[in-house]
Amino acid sequence: MAAVARPGSGTPAVEAIGLRKQFGSITAVDGIDLALEPGRIYGLLGPNGSGKTTFIRLLAGLAKPSAGQARILGTTMPDRPTLARIGYMPQGEALYPDLSVGENIGFFATLLGAGNRASIDRALRLVDLVDRRDTPALELSGGMRRRLSLAITLVHEPPVVILDEPTVGVDPALRVQFWSHFRRLADAGTTILVASHVMDEADRCDELLFIRSGRVLARGTGRELRAKAGTDDLERAFLRFAGLDDEGNPLPEGGAAPASPPAAPTGPPAEGPA
Amino acid sequence: MSPRRVAAVARRIAEGFRRDRRSLALLVVAPLLITALLGWVLRDQQQGSVEIVAVNQAGPLGDRIVAVLQSAAATAADGTAVETATTREAAVAQIRTGTADMALIIPASLPADVAGGSGPTLTVITNGTDPAAESGAFQSLQGLVGLVAGSLAPPGSTATLVPRIQRETVYLSPDADQLDVLAPVFLGLFAYFFVFVLTGVSFLRERVGGTLERLLATPVQRSEIVLGYAIGFTIFATLQVLVLTAYVLGRIDVPAIGPVGAFTIGLNVQSAGSPAIAFLVAFLLAVGAVNLGIFLSTFARTELQVVQFIPIVIVPQGLLGGVFWPIDRLPDVLQAVAHVLPVTYAVDALREVMLKGSDLGSAAVQTDLAVLLAIAAVFVVLASLTIRREVA
Repeated sequence: MAAVARPGSGTPAVEAIGLRKQFGSITAVDGIDLALEPGRIYGLLGPNGSGKTTFIRLLAGLAKPSAGQARILGTTMPDRPTLARIGYMPQGEALYPDLSVGENIGFFATLLGAGNRASIDRALRLVDLVDRRDTPALELSGGMRRRLSLAITLVHEPPVVILDEPTVGVDPALRVQFWSHFRRLADAGTTILVASHVMDEADRCDELLFIRSGRVLARGTGRELRAKAGTDDLERAFLRFAGLDDEGNPLPEGGAAPASPPAAPTGPPAEGPA
Repeated sequence: MSPRRVAAVARRIAEGFRRDRRSLALLVVAPLLITALLGWVLRDQQQGSVEIVAVNQAGPLGDRIVAVLQSAAATAADGTAVETATTREAAVAQIRTGTADMALIIPASLPADVAGGSGPTLTVITNGTDPAAESGAFQSLQGLVGLVAGSLAPPGSTATLVPRIQRETVYLSPDADQLDVLAPVFLGLFAYFFVFVLTGVSFLRERVGGTLERLLATPVQRSEIVLGYAIGFTIFATLQVLVLTAYVLGRIDVPAIGPVGAFTIGLNVQSAGSPAIAFLVAFLLAVGAVNLGIFLSTFARTELQVVQFIPIVIVPQGLLGGVFWPIDRLPDVLQAVAHVLPVTYAVDALREVMLKGSDLGSAAVQTDLAVLLAIAAVFVVLASLTIRREVA
C-alpha cells in the first residue's frame, strides 16, 4: 500500500469501522464509526471511563478490537510497520528515570527508525530541551518531562499523532506552547487526535468528538455543537448530548445513548476539511 | 528481528545500570561479600573444644577406659577434654549449666559384658539443642572410643589391632573442604538470584511506568524486547560471574603491614575444569532467570511483590537443587520436583566441570546444558506471552 494520506487525497488518516472492544462483560468501545481527515486537529472529549483511552489504544495498535476495524493511513491496525508512522503519547510520563534526556529519546527514536542525530536534535529543539541532553529524566521538572515525552512522540515526524491527555499537569504557558506545536504540525499536514477531559482546550481543536460509554455522541466544531445543544457552555453541551441535565442527572425524556438526534452522529464530518 | 532494535533494548538496560550504582553494587559486591563470609566461616571455623564428662560406674575396668580416653584426647590436642563426674545426675547438671558438652556413662554392667563376650553399651548424653555441633562432637568421641576397644582386652592378652585408615580421592584432593564443593555452585546460584530480582524489578518498572506501553507503540517485536533484555542483563551477569570466579579460584597473599596481620584475598578453591564452560552454564541459567523475571513481573504490582517471589522461586531451588544435599538422597517427591528446576542442572554441570574437570565432551555436561537451554526456551516463550497479553 503506497497511499500516503495528504490533505485532499481522499484516504482518511484515521478510520474506525464498527470498532468495538470488550473486556469480559464490559464494553469499553461500543461500535464507533468515524473518519478523520489529514491536516486537522481533533479533540476527543469525554469523562473518565468513557472509553477514550481504549479507543485511542485501538487506533495506536496497542490493543486488538473485539469487532470492527481501526485503520491508520489505510492500513488495518494492529500493524507493526505502521506503528512507525504514528506518534503516540501515553497518559503517564512513560520515561526511564535513570536514563538521560538524550538516552531516553535516542532509545525510542532507534525503535521508531529515527535514531539519527538530526531527528533527535530537531525534536529536542522543538521542546527546548537541547541543553538538558545529559540530565537524567529523574532530575527534570514535571513540565520538562512532559516536553521530553512530546519530543519522543514527534521524533520520527509521524503523519498521525495520537495524544492521550497531553496537557495534564502542564502549566498554562507550556500548554500554550504545546498547542502552537500542534497547530504547526497540523498546518504541515499531520493529523492530530487529542484526548482530553479539559473542555477549555476544546476550542483549539478544529473538530470535537464527544464520547461517552464507548460511543461517539456528537461530532462537529465547538460552535456547531454549542448551537445544537443550545448553550454557550461546552460542558453543558456535552451533558445535553449525553442526555443529562446541567447537574448531571438524566433528562426526563431520554435514555443516554440513542438520544441527541440533532448531532450528526458518527458518519463522515458534517463539514469538509478546511 | 532487527539487530539494531535488539541492541537498542540491550543498551537501554546498560545505560540504566550505569546510573543505578546501587543495583550494580548489589550485582557484584553482594555476592563477593557473601562468598567471602562463607569462605571465612567454613575455612577458619573455631575448633569446637568438646568437654566430655565421663561417669564411671564400672570400677577399675572403667578407670582404664577413662585413662585411655584422657590420654588420647591430650594427644589429639584438638581441644577435646575428658573430665570425670561421680554420678550421672552430676554430669547431666554440668551439661545443663554448659560446662560440659557431653556425658559418657560407663555402666556397672561393663565388666560382666566384656567377660561374657557380649558387646558393652556406653551411653552418651548430649544437650540435644544443636544437632549439627553435637554430631561433630559425637564423631570425635567415636574416634576416641575406637581406641578404647584395645584397652578392653583383658590384661596380658594381645590387644585388638585398630587399623589406621588412609584416605585417597578420585577428584580433588583428600583435604578438599566443604568450600571447595560449594563455591563453584554458588557462582550459578548468585547469577540466578540477582539476575532474576533485577529483571523482575526492571520489567515491573516498564509495566508500571508506562514505558512498556510506549515500547509496544513502536515497531519493536516482543522477541526483540526479550532478547535485548537477556543480552543487557547478561552483560552484567557476566561481569558478576567473572569477578566471582576470580575470587573463588584465585588467591593473593597480602603480607602483614604494621598492625594488620597477614591475610589472603581469594578462596583459592581447588578446581579441575575450565572456567569458560562454567561461565557458559551460568550464562544459560541467567537467560532463564531474565525471562522468569519478565514472566513473574506480570503477577506483581509493586517492587516489593517482586521481592516476595524470592522465598517461592529462589529459596526452594537453593534447597532442592543439590547445592547442599545430593538430589538422590531427597525423598522421591522432592526428587521429581528437583528435576524440573533449572538450578539442579546448573549445579550438576558446575560440579562436573569445576570439580571433576569434565569438558563439553562429557555426556553429563551435554545433558545439563541441553536441559538448561530447553528451560530457558520455555521461559522465553512464557515471557513473550505475558508481553503479548498486555497488547491483546
